[in-house]
Amino acid sequence: MRHTLMTSVAAIALAAVSVQAASAQESLTIGADVDAGTLDPRLARDTTAYRVANLISAGLVHLTPNLEAVPDLAESWENPDDTTVVFTLREGLTFSDGSALTAEDVVYTFETILDADFNAPQRGLFTPIESIVAVDDRTVQFNLTTPYAPLMSYLDIGIVPSDYEGDMAVEPIGAGPMVLDSWTRGSELVLTASESYWAGAPSVSNLVVTVVGDNSARAQAFEAGDLDVIQSPLSPNDIQRFADDDSVGSEILAGLGVTYLNFNTSDPLLSDPAMRQALAMLVDQDTIVNQIYEGVDQVASSVILPSSWAYDEAIQQPGFDIAAAMAMLDDMGWSDSDGDGFRDRDGETLSIEIATHSEDPNRVQSVEYLQAIFESAGIDATVRITDWPSFSSGYVQQGEHQIALLGWLRITDPDRLLYGQLTTGSGLNWGGYSNPEVDALLEAGRTELDQDARAEAYQAAATIIAEELPYYIISYQGYQMFYDPEVVSDVVATPRGGFRGLIGMAD
Amino acid sequence: MTDYIIRRLLLFIPMAIGIVVVTFCLLLLIPGDPASVLLGQEATPEGVASLRRALGLDDPWFIRLGSYFWNLLHGDMGMSIFQNAPVSEIILGRLGATIELAVVALLLAIIIGVTLGVLAANRQGGIIDAIAMLVAQFGISIPVYWLALLLMLGFAVHLGWLPAIGREEPLISAFGMALTGNPAPLLDSLSHIILPALSLALNSAAIISRLVRTSMLEVLREDFVRTAKAKGMRRSKVIWKHALRNALLPVVSVIGLRFGALLGGAILTETIFAWPGLGQLTISAISQRDLPLIQGIVLTFALIYATVTLLVDLLYAAVDPRIRLR
Repeated sequence: MRHTLMTSVAAIALAAVSVQAASAQESLTIGADVDAGTLDPRLARDTTAYRVANLISAGLVHLTPNLEAVPDLAESWENPDDTTVVFTLREGLTFSDGSALTAEDVVYTFETILDADFNAPQRGLFTPIESIVAVDDRTVQFNLTTPYAPLMSYLDIGIVPSDYEGDMAVEPIGAGPMVLDSWTRGSELVLTASESYWAGAPSVSNLVVTVVGDNSARAQAFEAGDLDVIQSPLSPNDIQRFADDDSVGSEILAGLGVTYLNFNTSDPLLSDPAMRQALAMLVDQDTIVNQIYEGVDQVASSVILPSSWAYDEAIQQPGFDIAAAMAMLDDMGWSDSDGDGFRDRDGETLSIEIATHSEDPNRVQSVEYLQAIFESAGIDATVRITDWPSFSSGYVQQGEHQIALLGWLRITDPDRLLYGQLTTGSGLNWGGYSNPEVDALLEAGRTELDQDARAEAYQAAATIIAEELPYYIISYQGYQMFYDPEVVSDVVATPRGGFRGLIGMAD
Repeated sequence: MTDYIIRRLLLFIPMAIGIVVVTFCLLLLIPGDPASVLLGQEATPEGVASLRRALGLDDPWFIRLGSYFWNLLHGDMGMSIFQNAPVSEIILGRLGATIELAVVALLLAIIIGVTLGVLAANRQGGIIDAIAMLVAQFGISIPVYWLALLLMLGFAVHLGWLPAIGREEPLISAFGMALTGNPAPLLDSLSHIILPALSLALNSAAIISRLVRTSMLEVLREDFVRTAKAKGMRRSKVIWKHALRNALLPVVSVIGLRFGALLGGAILTETIFAWPGLGQLTISAISQRDLPLIQGIVLTFALIYATVTLLVDLLYAAVDPRIRLR
């Protein structure tokens, strides 16, 4: 009798023999870390929303992996003058419900984004647009208040129908390569190939995006064959393991984010660039990136990302050099005159607060590590760790910090990291940095329409910033994607983690 | 008995009000502003301020609490800030998966726990007793998320017997299909639920096994057991038929409490196994600071828990008349 019970337990376990559906070539399952909040491209905030909306909807342009704008719904564009861009739409464009996509829909899309009450998260990127005019069905004219080169890299935002009765957030209609088939909130999104995309149907007829919140579980589900593709965020040991595994296809490249130190240049102590240089030389990037972050990211050298067309490896911020930093502090008159272990000058102890937020243990660890190095160099360093909202909106954004460690994501154009944050008096310039020369260069980078001229301006600005250090970039965030080569044949990876390169579309 | 039931049901009302007030106050203390989370890193202070107004976050707390209550009375739990859908609809869509997981886990916990407990009590101090209690000790100590990842690693990754994530057809409808001669969905659903249910069940199974062992040892010393033995009844029959029935009474009382623990454990288990239930929703709602949704989930969990406790009390009162006379 006893045996009967035990075997019945075993029987239940055995009854559950795996019933794995054979994955057909035309079907693909991608693991995502979060569910999309909305599928309205204008309101997308999270990575899954961007990536899925980018399949359902198409924008005027598409961004290549090198972040250059190429024609998508627009077949061409021209600049009659510095503040005007005229787009010509392709012929015969339709949304997935068969209705025609015209200039009017483009106007509607951007007018809603610019409407303050619509609360589009990316509204700030489009504010230089003064007006949008539908010249005729296939011609749209953007009139700008000032020349604004980065605009092209933001115009991949999906075009939505102006007369759609349904809810774009949950039943989106677009003119992209795929259409939404079903959406189980928090669980999975199912997309099927669209008949109406101008470039033809994608090679994958069925795409499933499965939400697995836990990074380790997602990696294991990929290993177990439940998922065909996974991408960052992943835990470092999983990244290492898959990268070394020949049976796994891997794409590891520089992403679009940075982790950086924000120096408050309006703080009396930190207003001297020499002080910021000395402190920057105390940042052991190598240990932070390769030990604390376990090599998931890259050691950074300047404010321009390696994924950008403006990147120049010749621009170098100061590297880790405790001896040189101590010598600089000595030269500035900071020495330990009272023998308490901390440097002082005119009776004032050299004390600095380094802050970050509690949600990211790696950032907390980095800050604690920096504190230790600062103290070994004779600086009385304290650490301030709070939750993200208090840290961000209640502290750094109020300019109350001395040194803050944080990150910035989705830098598709150098302008997006630099202009709003490092020009004098700008809204996101929380460290109060002000340098007329940098202002002029960033303005030039924003207004020059020629990419080489822009790159030159950003490199010149980055050179000054690498010396004056309002920002010290610790690391360039990496982007990793792993896939099952038996299911996905040709993969084009992009630092933005988009899905178009997985469904046979030119990315 | 009727008086007792009415008394218990009336007590439910102040408790429900208490739950609403407490969760509401807790949410007021959560740092973080849904408006700034919604607008992301490039938000302007003006944008955040206007969104706060639109979401009604600027009203004083007592007005928000009052209107929340008022709407609750009409069955309206408010709108989810992030999903832009009624909270009640979102929760109803998730409830089935969590209840299914918790019930299956509870059944597993009872089967494993009772089996282990009886085997241990059968030969007190024997080798089986030692092994069973060691297993129980492990079950109580192992953190559920670690066990979940371990089970996934073993059964899904290395052996490839079971799927690692997700949920297929609900068990009930899969049963229906099996009855009409299509067993495939049932096997599929079972294979998906087995790992999450097992990781969720182990902790409760361990607690139940200890309890069964203790009460079994007590019952085995009772007179009627000796009588049954003296009459020459087979030992196994005495244990499984007579003794166990009496030993299970205390187990009934912990089931209500265990159900609450299972709901709590479901938050971690569901997140790891991508099980589309309330637990997984809780995590995402908290990370998004989706206050109305968090409030709705906590309320739902609390009401489920209170309902199960009530049912257990009534069951006990039906079994034991002394309780309802107190």
